[in-house]
Amino acid sequence: MGVTCVCQVPVSEGKSVQQTVDILHKKLEQLGAVKQGNFWVDCETYHATGNATGQPSKLLYVMHNSETPLSCMALFEGGPGLSADANFDVLMVKLKSHFQNAKGHKVESRGVRYRYCDFLVKIGTVAMSSSARGISVEVEYCACVIPGDCWNLMKEFMQSFLGSNTPELPTVFTSKAEGLSVPVDCMDTMSQYLELFGRVRKQQVLPGSGVR
Amino acid sequence: MSGAPAVRVSIESSCERQVQEVSLDGLETYAPPLSMSQNLAKLAQRIDFGQSSDEDEDGPERDSREQWSKPEAEEDEGMVKFQPSLWPWDSVRNNLRSSLTEMCVLHDVLSVLKDKKYMTLDPVSQDPSVGKTPQVFQLLSKKKSLATAAQLLLRGAEKLTKSVVENQEQRRQRDFNSELLRLRSQWKLRKVGDKILGDLSYRSAGSMFPHHGTFEVIKNTDLDLDKKIPDDYCPLNVQIPSELEGSAYIKVSIQKQSPDIGDLGTVNLFRRQAKAKPGSQMWHLKLEAAQNVLLCKEIFAQLSREAVQIKSQIPHIVVKNQIISQPFPGLQLSISLCHSTGEKKNQRASPDKSKPDDHLYVLEHNLHQLIREFHKQTLSSVVMPHPASAPFSHKRLRMAGPMAYDKAEISSLQQSEGLLEKIIKQAKHIFLRSRTARTIDSLASRIEDPQIQAHWSNINDVYESSVKVLITSQGYEQICKSIQLQLNIGVEQIRVVHRDGRVITLSHQEQELQDFLLSQMSQHQVHAVQQLAKVMGWHVLSFSNHVGLGPIESIGNASAITVASPNGEYAISVRNGPESGCKVLVQFPRSQAKELPKSDVVQDGKWTHLRGPYKEVHWGRMEGRNFVYKMELLMAALTPCP
Repeated sequence: MGVTCVCQVPVSEGKSVQQTVDILHKKLEQLGAVKQGNFWVDCETYHATGNATGQPSKLLYVMHNSETPLSCMALFEGGPGLSADANFDVLMVKLKSHFQNAKGHKVESRGVRYRYCDFLVKIGTVAMSSSARGISVEVEYCACVIPGDCWNLMKEFMQSFLGSNTPELPTVFTSKAEGLSVPVDCMDTMSQYLELFGRVRKQQVLPGSGVR
Repeated sequence: MSGAPAVRVSIESSCERQVQEVSLDGLETYAPPLSMSQNLAKLAQRIDFGQSSDEDEDGPERDSREQWSKPEAEEDEGMVKFQPSLWPWDSVRNNLRSSLTEMCVLHDVLSVLKDKKYMTLDPVSQDPSVGKTPQVFQLLSKKKSLATAAQLLLRGAEKLTKSVVENQEQRRQRDFNSELLRLRSQWKLRKVGDKILGDLSYRSAGSMFPHHGTFEVIKNTDLDLDKKIPDDYCPLNVQIPSELEGSAYIKVSIQKQSPDIGDLGTVNLFRRQAKAKPGSQMWHLKLEAAQNVLLCKEIFAQLSREAVQIKSQIPHIVVKNQIISQPFPGLQLSISLCHSTGEKKNQRASPDKSKPDDHLYVLEHNLHQLIREFHKQTLSSVVMPHPASAPFSHKRLRMAGPMAYDKAEISSLQQSEGLLEKIIKQAKHIFLRSRTARTIDSLASRIEDPQIQAHWSNINDVYESSVKVLITSQGYEQICKSIQLQLNIGVEQIRVVHRDGRVITLSHQEQELQDFLLSQMSQHQVHAVQQLAKVMGWHVLSFSNHVGLGPIESIGNASAITVASPNGEYAISVRNGPESGCKVLVQFPRSQAKELPKSDVVQDGKWTHLRGPYKEVHWGRMEGRNFVYKMELLMAALTPCP
């Protein structure tokens, strides 16, 4: 478990999602990274029902990550989150009366996992109901858990293959009350993914993306 | 009674009250007097009921006694005849009088006996006719009395023998219940309805094998009471499930790979006989054998499950009762379950007959140990107790979900290796170790000149053993000890640590180790020359472990050394290679050379003392039992005496 940074890479001009992903793969392989299997991250949305007033009901997001295969993370947007056993999904089924699943809103990101010494790079295609909407890149530096100590190194690494698409320090780290010297949590990663998925959802459907 | 001086008889009434205590100042404390009923009871106790009542008492006295006794009837149950106290001392006087009479008589008799003055004692003559009883009568009476005595004795003896026989019978016949108690002290039993069932599985020890393992206890009623009870009769019998009958064992063997797979899966020959421990019951043997069969079945089931599930480079073959895998190329490890029901003696022919000691008992024992460890793990506090929702695994893994463990952490907690993998690794190690030993031994027996010694370490691991190999020359062990190798034999590789710090990893190939040892042996010879030169006072001019000149060796490299004599006149050059053998050249001073090239430049006489041409030594014709000895002789020969 190390410091992770999730960012979205815009699709190159005139190219499809798949082609952009392939370009990124090639860049990484040239760098010397080794393919180490696949990864997936998905997110399901639940509406909280039973709301008397006309307020928009809070949305509960239940996410899974193949990096932590036995866990299930649940969080509210910008709010508290929890990590639980895989039985949490079954619990959500039991709580059908309080939380309704918005089936059309499931977002997931699937792709290849590369390992380059202490770095883990995961390039995934963000898809919503099997239509590719964007590209997510997650870079994890396994050797460190304090974001403040390794952010510069990570930025430099990301610059080497992302070029101009390198993100700034994620807001999850900056918005923490204790600052950048606090060890990371799996919830930080999932919040970043949630932000990315939210952005992707709001985006319009890419022209010509189709069913992949 | 009269005429004798009067005997004064003083009569004193007995103390009415007993002295209970005399205090220190002489004051006596009397016991309180008895009440009427207490007094009566005390007197009643003193009456001797065996004696008949006083004969010479007259009737009126008796009547008065009876009158008296009637009012006394309430106090007393009418058992006692109470003498009326007409005169309280009447009885006392009578007793005294009678005792006096007796004493006088005694006195008379004694005086007659002693003095013999007026009377003597004379034995009463026996009148044979009067006192004679007929002999027949005597005989009969004696016989009768003897018969009575004999009968009494016989009755007593009969009782004794009966009890002894009963004891013996009991010991041999042994009650069903006591036998059941013995059974219960060693095996788990429970009562279901009117049947007694038992459990011989390892489920309570942590096994997860789905076999029920129940046996039934039945009463042995086929005892013929008329015949003699056999020695091994047991009133109890156990009925084990039919699939657990007989006995079984797991055979692990390593063979050269058989070219045909046609005869796989044959039932192997059963050859072991269960040794019956003296004193153990038949049911115990039966149950133990059945439990062993169950354990062997579990081991085999686990192994075959893993063989099918686990993906490996060379897939394992599971055929009937055999699992075949390939630990090394050209080698075959077969694990088979040999179960014989003991009744049939078929399938005697077996290809394994040719190699009777093929069976690796160590691995069979290890398999049993591994499965028992596996059982223990399911029962350990790390796994049990567990909540209903959690899977059956390490308790830290239950936190994997909430704590968001990643794959590395999860895999570190989980059991990575199964039974089959472990046993294959162990088999590989055993095979590698035995092959290494064989290689070293064959080299040691083949090559005499540098001697090779192997010191095996006593303490080994299942996956690692170590041996220290020393290459020495006979007679020069103290001088030439520069080649010492520590071999760590692992599962697939051998790691060699040289004395000079080099670490070399050899594969499982036999040839690699052999080549390596041969090259070390050739290096040893040259090192030996170096050490010898130090001892003999010769100077080392050059030394190289791997010379680049001369014919190329296929195994390792040749080494060479040049040493010069103390006075510099002679020099010896040695080149030794594993294949090419050794070549020794001696350099002579120019003055001793036969053909000296004539030169115009070098004319001064002093130059003849320099070393000049080389001459090869016929090493095979040198005297000496080994290389170093020969070298020593050569050096000695080239060092002139002062």
